[in-house]
Amino acid sequence: MKDYFQKISHKLFNSLEKNEILILNFDAEKTDFVRFNHAKIRQAGNVNQATLTLNLIFKRKTLTSVIRLSTDFGKDSLLLLRTLYYLRREIPELPADPYLMYERNINSFENDITSNKLDAYAMTGNIIDSCNMLDMVGILSSGTIIKGFTSSLGQFNWHESESFNFDWSMYTESGKAIKQNYSDQEWSQKRFTDLLSESKEKLKVIDNKEIILEPGKYRVYLSPSALNEIVDMLSWGGFSYKANKIGSSPLHLMEKGERSFSKIVSFSENLSNGISPKFHSDGFIKPEKTDLIVNGKYINSLVSPRSALEYSVNHNAAEYYESPVSIHLNKGLINSNKILETLKDGIYISNLWYLNFSDRNNGRVTGLTRFGCFMVENGEYKGPINTMRFDETVYNVFGDKLVGLTDKSQLLMDSGTYDERSTYSSTIPGAIVEDFKMTL
Amino acid sequence: MKDNFINLVKPLLPKTDYCSFRFVSKYTNIISATRGVVEPVITSEDDGLMVTIFHNGGFGYGATSNLTQQGILQAVESAKEWADFSKNKLTYRPNLSKLKNQTGSYYTEEEDNWSKVSMKDKADYLLSVNKALKSQPTISNWGASMRFNKIETLFMDTNDSHVRQKISYLLPQIIASAEHKKEIQTRTFGGHAHARQIGYDFIDQINMVQKAKILAEEAVELSKSPNCSDKITNAVIAPDQMILQIHESIGHPLELDRILGDERNYAGSSFVTPEMFGKYQYGSKLLNITFNPTLESELASYNYDDDGTNAEKKYLIKDGLLVRPIGGLFSSQRLDLDHVACSRASNWNRPPIDRMGNINLEPGEDSFEDIISSVEDGIYLQTNNSWSIDDKRNKFQFGCEKGTLIKNGKFAGVVKNPSYRGITESFWQNLSKVGNSESNNILGTSNCGKGEPNQTIFVGHSTPACLFENVDVFGGV
Repeated sequence: MKDYFQKISHKLFNSLEKNEILILNFDAEKTDFVRFNHAKIRQAGNVNQATLTLNLIFKRKTLTSVIRLSTDFGKDSLLLLRTLYYLRREIPELPADPYLMYERNINSFENDITSNKLDAYAMTGNIIDSCNMLDMVGILSSGTIIKGFTSSLGQFNWHESESFNFDWSMYTESGKAIKQNYSDQEWSQKRFTDLLSESKEKLKVIDNKEIILEPGKYRVYLSPSALNEIVDMLSWGGFSYKANKIGSSPLHLMEKGERSFSKIVSFSENLSNGISPKFHSDGFIKPEKTDLIVNGKYINSLVSPRSALEYSVNHNAAEYYESPVSIHLNKGLINSNKILETLKDGIYISNLWYLNFSDRNNGRVTGLTRFGCFMVENGEYKGPINTMRFDETVYNVFGDKLVGLTDKSQLLMDSGTYDERSTYSSTIPGAIVEDFKMTL
Repeated sequence: MKDNFINLVKPLLPKTDYCSFRFVSKYTNIISATRGVVEPVITSEDDGLMVTIFHNGGFGYGATSNLTQQGILQAVESAKEWADFSKNKLTYRPNLSKLKNQTGSYYTEEEDNWSKVSMKDKADYLLSVNKALKSQPTISNWGASMRFNKIETLFMDTNDSHVRQKISYLLPQIIASAEHKKEIQTRTFGGHAHARQIGYDFIDQINMVQKAKILAEEAVELSKSPNCSDKITNAVIAPDQMILQIHESIGHPLELDRILGDERNYAGSSFVTPEMFGKYQYGSKLLNITFNPTLESELASYNYDDDGTNAEKKYLIKDGLLVRPIGGLFSSQRLDLDHVACSRASNWNRPPIDRMGNINLEPGEDSFEDIISSVEDGIYLQTNNSWSIDDKRNKFQFGCEKGTLIKNGKFAGVVKNPSYRGITESFWQNLSKVGNSESNNILGTSNCGKGEPNQTIFVGHSTPACLFENVDVFGGV
């Protein structure tokens, strides 16, 4: 695929006219998707897709076309040359873009992680055999993801990886459920069997009479997955320079220095795990690490090149949407092997679901418990709880009411597949929080 | 898709128990102007094919953007391989004899075509909307955009079916935020509600410049308004919030694939169980909900779904009684229920699943004025800005941009951050007035997410304003 991308880009670059600059982003994937219900196959198939984004720049004007490709050089050449002609014809109609910025320095690199060790049929067979007699439902996504960048100025970047993501839950007859995720670059039957055994143990605990909670304030343990849901809400504008400027950030009061988190809270955008590409869609190279919140204080935002020009600041190669793609929350001191003892009396929340803002200005978030949530008494599981709605501010969760963070983090790979497989991830510990408000 | 292409690919349909080819050609054009600057204009062209094969009790699909003969044959091969592998491993085995030959078409009626208006004219118009939005000094963020989508599909199968459809829709959007003492309040138009199958004349009809002025004034007013109080009260819910209420607490829980458990790992299941159809009183007798793909200009109007089933209007809830689910031909076979044509895919690279089409609340008899004047003490809620509901679609909490208090049948002041929470099973029982056809709005949202792999699809909702009693309303921090 790399050869194809190079060949087709040369074809386009050779067709450019004087003073034209062309920026190309290539996205492709070959994925086998297997959807399960009741531990059997609900839908299974293969998706083979490739896309080229052409961004033509001429006299500080810019126009973009996103074209789905066949990867047949002859067929695509005609289509893309026609697209280039369209961009050239239309671009004079547009006003100059005052916030246009693209990388002029050349910084080429390639990152190929291909193993060809993934066999979707074998993995599916393994899953079905291992889950026999269980009510398992979920999705296996497996295959190659490719991101490429090149410009007529000479830069070339390539990111290719092969991975799988099996995201599933298991249900008891009474409707209680446990959720799990296994994602990696190579399938290990032993690792999967271990994860399945963990789930089965939890299912036994959860398959008891439901404890009906009353609305009120509870001491809670938020697992890394549950806490990640709240972090996702922070990421919805919270770290965006632009969102803070226009007031749509849930952390705008913190960015202004009027609010803070606990001193044990430090967030960074950290690309060192290599899951997301390190190049920006306009060619800038992203820093390995950007501190966002340090010891509870808001330090940096993610700044896109467009925001940098609009607000006259330096950018840090954030994409247009200025959200983290690989957020990292520092670990704490709570012994991860003694969570129940440390929680003592409260609710163990494995997953939260369907979060949204109930007051964005003040960082107030609502959502629901889902999958594997238990009442804990005297450091022991008492029983599963009913689905509860919470409504709480992030300044309580990460601030005054934060008891501590666990001493182990979990790498959470985004299983999202809207349009294409996600390359987002997060590294998050668990947390114990006091007075967590349940409302319904 | 040209006839010579169709003639070329038809012989590639393999000899299996059943096979369909679903070609999709999608064109998108997004133009926006934010804070007085035209943002990079984006067009996209997306052509691809999904091959679906049922054979010997197995099922598989192959999807590709490679529409050469070789690419299509590779997709057929992938579909065959998964069909072979999944033999005796499927959740259920469909009854293929129910699939019939379908031949027909559907085209969106566009009075004024999108492509007739130049990019420059569209950009200039959006800049004039921006100017109107920034008419107030405390406006801190403002912008306007237009999104145009054209989706052409060609469905053919081994039953000799041949269905061509072309749906185009337009989504105009406006946003105005105002700041007062570090309190930011936002008013929007379009975001979650105003997508329609309609031509560019819609832009003139809605007069975005005039609307922009009103939204900016409302944002400023809201930023200086008191917070909504916490109380149990009467709520008149405007169509641009009703759309969300119907979508989340009727549309989703009635999707049959949820009831059958397919979505339990992602979008969730439903409090509705199979035995409730024909017996369960979902709401008050004023509640009438239809699956209606026939309403002109509504977002999800079509003649066939993506499994090639022909579409017609059917009641889901009649006089408050739950009648049938939103289940496509294959899903309905799993419970031996009546189906609707709701098997839809977001694109060529995702398989069809049960989706809402147009899910409409049928108008009642009260005018909007009569509804407001009937309320002694209550609140009028407009424009959704937050949505959250549990995985069985029961405990919900929705936020709105604007609340207007009602006292003795008259509007009595604006409040900010109005939200309300409730439980689906009891909420619809408290429906006490339904607006008449004059107050009915045809609305639609373009971003309903669901499915594994994930899919975002457009759905329509037509609804008048409605009055609910005993609603738990509250405000911000």
